[in-house]
Amino acid sequence: MLIFAISDKGGTGRSVTSTNIVYRHALQGNDVCYLDFDFGSPTAGAIFSVSSVARGTKTGGLHEYLRGDCAEPRRIDIWSESDREGLRIKPPGAGRLVLLPGTEGGGELATVDEEMISRCVQLFSRLEEEFDLCMVDVSAGRSFTAEMVLKATVRLPAIPFRWLVFHRWTRQHIIAADGLVTGADGLLDVGARVGHDADMLRDRIRFVRTAVLEPDAAELVGLRDEQRAWLSACDNDLRELARRHKVGRTAMLGKIPLDPVLQWREQLISDEDVLASKIANAETTAAFDDLAKKIVDDSAWEGL
Amino acid sequence: MTSVNATFGEVAAERRIASAPFSHVSIELGHLYMEDFEAGPERLREQFRRVAPWVRSVRASWQDRVPGRRARVSTCFLIDDYFSPFSTPAELVPMVLDAAAESDLTIDYLARESSCAESDGVELARLVEDRLVDDPAPETNGSRPPVKETGWLSNGARSPQVGAVQAMGKAQRWAPPVQNAKRGHSIFVDVELWDEAAGRRTWSCPFLAAVWQLLRLGLLRSEGRLPLRPVPREDAFPGDWDSLPAVVQLNPAATPFSAYTTLSVLSPRFLPVELAVRTILSQVAVDADVLRQVAARSESEGVRLEEELVDRISYVFT
Amino acid sequence: MLVMGEVHTGLLQNSGEIPESSARDVLRLLAGETVRVSRRPIAYAVSPDRLTGVDCRLPAASQSRVRGVGTVVSRSSITGGRVVQGSSYAHVQRSGSDRRLAWSHYLARPGVIEVFGKARAEDLADGFTEDPPADCLDLGAISARFMDTVQASPLLDRRAPFKIARARLRWVARTGEPAIRLTLHSDQVRTLRIVHEGEFTPAVADLCEDLALHDWLLTALLVIIERARVGGRPGPEAAAKLAPAVDHLLHLWMPAARVDDALAPFWESLDRRPGFTRQWQSLVDRVRDQVAVNTLALLSATADAGRRRQ
Repeated sequence: MLIFAISDKGGTGRSVTSTNIVYRHALQGNDVCYLDFDFGSPTAGAIFSVSSVARGTKTGGLHEYLRGDCAEPRRIDIWSESDREGLRIKPPGAGRLVLLPGTEGGGELATVDEEMISRCVQLFSRLEEEFDLCMVDVSAGRSFTAEMVLKATVRLPAIPFRWLVFHRWTRQHIIAADGLVTGADGLLDVGARVGHDADMLRDRIRFVRTAVLEPDAAELVGLRDEQRAWLSACDNDLRELARRHKVGRTAMLGKIPLDPVLQWREQLISDEDVLASKIANAETTAAFDDLAKKIVDDSAWEGL
Repeated sequence: MTSVNATFGEVAAERRIASAPFSHVSIELGHLYMEDFEAGPERLREQFRRVAPWVRSVRASWQDRVPGRRARVSTCFLIDDYFSPFSTPAELVPMVLDAAAESDLTIDYLARESSCAESDGVELARLVEDRLVDDPAPETNGSRPPVKETGWLSNGARSPQVGAVQAMGKAQRWAPPVQNAKRGHSIFVDVELWDEAAGRRTWSCPFLAAVWQLLRLGLLRSEGRLPLRPVPREDAFPGDWDSLPAVVQLNPAATPFSAYTTLSVLSPRFLPVELAVRTILSQVAVDADVLRQVAARSESEGVRLEEELVDRISYVFT
Repeated sequence: MLVMGEVHTGLLQNSGEIPESSARDVLRLLAGETVRVSRRPIAYAVSPDRLTGVDCRLPAASQSRVRGVGTVVSRSSITGGRVVQGSSYAHVQRSGSDRRLAWSHYLARPGVIEVFGKARAEDLADGFTEDPPADCLDLGAISARFMDTVQASPLLDRRAPFKIARARLRWVARTGEPAIRLTLHSDQVRTLRIVHEGEFTPAVADLCEDLALHDWLLTALLVIIERARVGGRPGPEAAAKLAPAVDHLLHLWMPAARVDDALAPFWESLDRRPGFTRQWQSLVDRVRDQVAVNTLALLSATADAGRRRQ
């Protein structure tokens, strides 16, 4: 299965959330790979703590591959190449966890040509033979990259794919996330133009809320009553707004609570970070675990 | 117990290639288009008058190459019923035969150009298209599929497309196309193989001419069989082209249609077409088994063939 | 001088094995050319050979620049309706010329790459079996595309029973005193060096494909057993994870099925050391035992439940 991670705007935590989802999915026993298609800023290496490709790789990056400058993109086995002690041992029962980094110094695609699409098709098709799940970080907003993967998936009718749209829980982000999906030149519009069935495509898109602050969260205990009441009212307004924009509960696949570790240092959150060093919250890993299951759970993807 | 030699064969696992009968040379006496026909029978007579001495000289030179035996020379004539069908066989064929007879020429075989595209359900043009192996530009290492401009074939590297590949990246500059096997300077040739309109593909004239050469050289097989066999003429010629067999044998005493070599006697106006034909033919991979079969066959009668098939084709432009 | 080739092997992207008729359609890569099929001792279908033109550096261990021009022969095949291979090779020969000739010259020698200047066979063999630099002849990319063509066929449903990586085997063959050496590199890469008597024939390429096929089968079975974590999880779960091996792989082991008699000793020597068939057999026994133990456990649990009900 192919999962495309996109966000309405930058700074939503799309990359850190999607990397944590694949990490959890691998821990659940699946062979997974992560494709850094965020060509303007390929930083997945940093999140996986592979310092040699922290800002992309010098040779064999995905960007180079799509341009036709290398025959096969470089692969990095996280279980053996991560700099983080805790990640370098493959836990028993875990599947493969492989990163395909972007190209260092690569820029956003300026166009999509036929050859790029066929290379993209070839890549997806080969990876799907060997991985249970391929997470593709498509970057933020409307881009040629998004157009390319929409075109590529039209040519792979037998390969299942799904889209995750990441957004923060704010007024601007809710409106923008809806626009990215349903607006002019949005995913559905472009998707239909390049040959997808719009209804079927809609069924394959779900939203993920990031950095969510729940009114009853432990962090808010010290707040004054007035502040708490105000937050609760805001949250209600946002729910109403989300419902109107069809970004509401039914179209939502999951939400990730606000966690300082994700905000200040984008990284994978291991069980050790929760249990031993206690720098991360248990709710956060629970949310990742839940999403890692839901992305492949068909009942969570039934038609809306 | 002594060991036993077991032999096991499966018919579907073996490859069988039919062999063709061969003349020494196949001479194309002419190629008739609508405009030639419209110019009247005098144009045709003129063409045959120019061709006749060349036929005599080629016959004599082959006779020298096979002393003590009869040189096998077959002649053929191609009519365009593909691009702009005109007239009917009943009207046209007798006229062509008469005009040839005036110059003491016998037309052994008459062929329809459309049969080079498709005949008897065999799409010969597709068959040849599938066997094109693109002339690789230097630094082609197989890592990418051959660079193709759909429907075109060249003898080198085209100019790179001008335009940026990534945001804020460097734009590519124009560069000239380059012939792969250039000697000093390039003669770059880019040939259109076909075009499509309303879902229907039209093969280009040079492409069909390349198929025609391969047919005459006896180098094509379809499912291991010979794709076209000449059919003896009937007493009367039909009233439409579709009813005429792809290749009609007009002369019962003719030597085989396919030949080790070919000669075409053409007007110089066909020169660009034939350059295109050679560009195509030098990128057609003929089946290795067929090549071996023909080589063995010719050697058995003491005729040494050129290795490269383009060298088995010659022209007289007159 | 020498022949170099690369075979890629993988699982056909279809839920079940495909029948001969589908294999014929999937492998029809060339109009007017029949797909050859054999049924004994295992179903095997192979596409017609196709050529790819190249003009590039050849890998040399000494890093010397050796340029070669010519064609590579490739084909795709399906074994047992289940395993796909993409295979390419080229015969490397010294060119009689010191510059590139007309393309028709090379097409008259299908499957031959002519090299200019001084090139030593040993140097090229070493260069090719080590990791060849990116700008050198890339037989692997060609073979991978021949596999892709099969896997992308609309006749396949793409619902393969398990996920598994493709394996690649790079090989070089030379003439001399018979010898064979198989080396396992990373998870997916193997190299094979063969020295055979007499002239090279396509039967040598057949042998390499057969070895690649069996090496992949062995690797795939190991992966499935590892994933099943026998002993690390409840028996029925482990047995369920082993099921794809029973359904799709175990019957495919048919060493030297299509190998020429003259080359059979090569297979036999590899079967003695490292002992392919021995390892395969022990893995098969393990899978069967595990499934049997689990079946027994299920049966006795059912019987217990029955007794309690009485």
